[in-house]
Amino acid sequence: MTSIHNEDNVKSIKTEIVVLGAGPGGYAAAFYAADKGKKVIMVEQDKRLGGVCLNRGCIPSKAYLHAAKLVTEAEESSFRGIHFEKPRIDLNQMRAWKESILDKLAGGITGLAKRRNVEVMQGRGYFEDSSTLRVETAGGQQFVTFDKAIIAVGSKAAIPSAFDLGNPRVMTSTEALEIEEIPKDLLVVGGGYIGMELGTVYASLGSNIVVVEALDAILAGADPDLARPVAQRAGKLFREIRVKTKVVKMATAGKQIKVNMEVGGEKKEELYDRVLVSVGRVPNCADLGLENTRVEQDEKGFIKVDEHQRTGDPGIFSIGDVAGGVLLAHKASKEARIAVEVITGELSAFEDIIIPAVVFTDPELAWCGLTESEAKQKGINVEVAKFPWSASGRALSFDRTDGMTKLVIDPESERILGVGIVGSGAGELIGEGVLAIEMGATAKDLAESVHPHPTLSETLSECAESFYGYATHTYAKKKTTTEQ
Amino acid sequence: MDVRLPRLGEGADSGVIATVFVKEGDQIHKDQPVLEIESEKAVATIPAPAGGTVTKILVKEGDEIRVGSLILVLSENGAGAAAAVAAPVAAAAPVSPRAIDASVGDDAREEPVIDVPAAPPVLPPAARVSAGPSGFPVVHAAGAPPPASPSLRKIARELGIDLHRVAGSERGGRIVMSDLRAYVQKIQRSALEGRSPAASPAPPGALQSPKPAPVSIDFSQWGPVTKQKITTLRRSISRKMVESWTTVPHITQFDEVDVTELLALRKKYAPKYEAKKAHLTLTSFAIHAVVAALKKHPSFNASIDEAAGEIVFKDYFNIGIAVDTEQGLIVPVLRKADTKSVFQLSVELNEIAERTRGRKLSLEEMQGGTFTISNQGGIGSGHFTPIVNTPEVAILGMGRSLVKPVVREGKVVQRTMMPLVLSYDHRVNDGANAARFVVDLVKEFESIREADVKI
Repeated sequence: MTSIHNEDNVKSIKTEIVVLGAGPGGYAAAFYAADKGKKVIMVEQDKRLGGVCLNRGCIPSKAYLHAAKLVTEAEESSFRGIHFEKPRIDLNQMRAWKESILDKLAGGITGLAKRRNVEVMQGRGYFEDSSTLRVETAGGQQFVTFDKAIIAVGSKAAIPSAFDLGNPRVMTSTEALEIEEIPKDLLVVGGGYIGMELGTVYASLGSNIVVVEALDAILAGADPDLARPVAQRAGKLFREIRVKTKVVKMATAGKQIKVNMEVGGEKKEELYDRVLVSVGRVPNCADLGLENTRVEQDEKGFIKVDEHQRTGDPGIFSIGDVAGGVLLAHKASKEARIAVEVITGELSAFEDIIIPAVVFTDPELAWCGLTESEAKQKGINVEVAKFPWSASGRALSFDRTDGMTKLVIDPESERILGVGIVGSGAGELIGEGVLAIEMGATAKDLAESVHPHPTLSETLSECAESFYGYATHTYAKKKTTTEQ
Repeated sequence: MDVRLPRLGEGADSGVIATVFVKEGDQIHKDQPVLEIESEKAVATIPAPAGGTVTKILVKEGDEIRVGSLILVLSENGAGAAAAVAAPVAAAAPVSPRAIDASVGDDAREEPVIDVPAAPPVLPPAARVSAGPSGFPVVHAAGAPPPASPSLRKIARELGIDLHRVAGSERGGRIVMSDLRAYVQKIQRSALEGRSPAASPAPPGALQSPKPAPVSIDFSQWGPVTKQKITTLRRSISRKMVESWTTVPHITQFDEVDVTELLALRKKYAPKYEAKKAHLTLTSFAIHAVVAALKKHPSFNASIDEAAGEIVFKDYFNIGIAVDTEQGLIVPVLRKADTKSVFQLSVELNEIAERTRGRKLSLEEMQGGTFTISNQGGIGSGHFTPIVNTPEVAILGMGRSLVKPVVREGKVVQRTMMPLVLSYDHRVNDGANAARFVVDLVKEFESIREADVKI
């Protein structure tokens, strides 16, 4: 294997670090390594940098969700005495707007790479061995020999073969984000965060949405009391949410898709204009040449890493979605830092790190640290303080009192172990929760920090106050004993 | 891949490089010895944690290096192990609680370590590996991470400090920089004072009394001299002897034992033993006799635990054997001597002495002894006063046996007599005990029968 690039006329390029993939994990790693003085090559097969997050995930979906919010708020403003016409939607212009955002962001990444002297190589990377990456670029093969490699190739939407009809009407999130048309009836298979977010987009654009979820609740993983307002709101925006429902079969039926499902044991056959399959994501491990290295994969195909992001191959690290765990951009970026620090000799480890989760539905749902359900499951003795947004002046001022802020507290030390927020803008609020947990703050610390009025951030301090029984805007009995 | 000095064993965190086996450019395979290091009382071989090409060697013979020091850089191209590189620090697998109680004997002390492919550049936080000495208790419940900011946790990780043991002064037990600083200072103070309760059976240097700074004397003013650097082993012996000499009130009991019959047995069986690669020596007999005597006198198979105010009697019999090596005295330990026949003892004795001289002993093979035997007979000495090998409380010395006229049943006869000396710790045993022990020991020597030796 190794002889190929030594002979021939192909010269290999030497680098200290090669990063495979330019998503939020990859570019974060490449930039950080460059900032630490390493010679870095970043290999990306897409023309536009930024990975799924920027191109087919976080960013475009949030752009559309912003559009959706505009539509919904306008629609729901008549009771305030503000009347809008029914919106006219120009999909081409909307897509162009979305693209312009992505171009700006990707351009930013390219510029930052240039300024750091990170060489961006466009092409597919393939490991020839534990120290050589072959890159298929437009201009032919390039061989990169490296001291260390960081694999950050991400994941893609899973599509079970039974649903893969080769019909563009059956979409994954990738296609759904192109919004080729606004289907009259859209079936969303999978009530996780991707299905719920994209369902929200399409619903506001005018589609009738049916969400089916195999489990007994949507947004599994979130505390039920936090997921409830999301489900309630979706119940209004969507035509229907069916839990405990399994899609058995899909078939092309003219310009529609015929879907057979079992709803709690009852069989149903329905026609939909389009179907969005959002049942999870799979790692992009195929054709990477991992078999030529000592990188190991788990039974689902994710690359096995230790807490230092090391793979089974001493020269190769892996971060982000492809390394398993929660598939979130900010987790990838954190892992990027750890991998680079370990490579440069620091004692970093992915240990006791709080990764917040945000679901950008309407209302938003966000949490970090220990959840109430998790505490119950693990038998951890906690106390829970809740603050309903119906008591928040700020929430009332924009008519969105369907929210709640919740703290999971250690009764002994009064330390904040978890924070959960549902409500408009929850995603923007959760950062304070992360900081509180990471800093080892107590409920007292939160209660005694002055939060500005009138903002939703007050719900955090008031929630902490309610733990002690003296929240101004709610009334609760003074705390005496601990739960459980 | 950076190869760093792995942990060497309990209490040993540095050593002097005796030999470097590889040179830059060498292709090496996993587990191939890369260097030999003299630490405390062992010369340990450090194996390569992975295979590859040695691209850089950062140490040379004679260097004193600490655990975690960079030894060499390996570029892995073939076999090797990822896990080898700087193994997880904080997540170092917790050793079973059994492996911790230093006051228990050898089996319990299996924190081996030399054979661990490579170790973290910093020792794993002490706490996670051991239940810990009483001065450093766990103050934060396991489960939730210790309450401290990410930046502080990072510093703690770099220092190898387990924050679970650091009391926090802020609300909710939150640990801040001043708490960590205070904790580190406490550790250092404790280390300097040697009070870290039972951190190891004999913390190196712990019991040394403060002494004035040594003054260099120019001996060459009186004639030519040659100088030699004190080796780690010599320094370690010196420290150990000073410690024993200054803490143990030594008494030495003198006696002689009639080994005429034993020598006859030895003459008869030696060839049979040799055929099976075992040397039948007076030391083998001595171990056999000592174990029998120790069983009758448990206070000689004991240790003193001053911190706990207890005398610890051991129900196991691990006999240390003083071995004279080119580098100096090394005492390997023959385990569970009470369960072994004279033949087995001879086999093991031969084997362990070989390995001791070949400097192939692991550290744990020198730990956990309950009683030591020093046989100088081969060299030709008579009586001598050995120093107790602390934390043991007694040591037996054997001199050279000589044919002497002795009186047996009213007649002067020729017998071969061997000098026996017993040095013991007067804190634990009094003279009368020692006299009884020696009397019984002599009896045990003289009651060894052919049946005990047969194979």
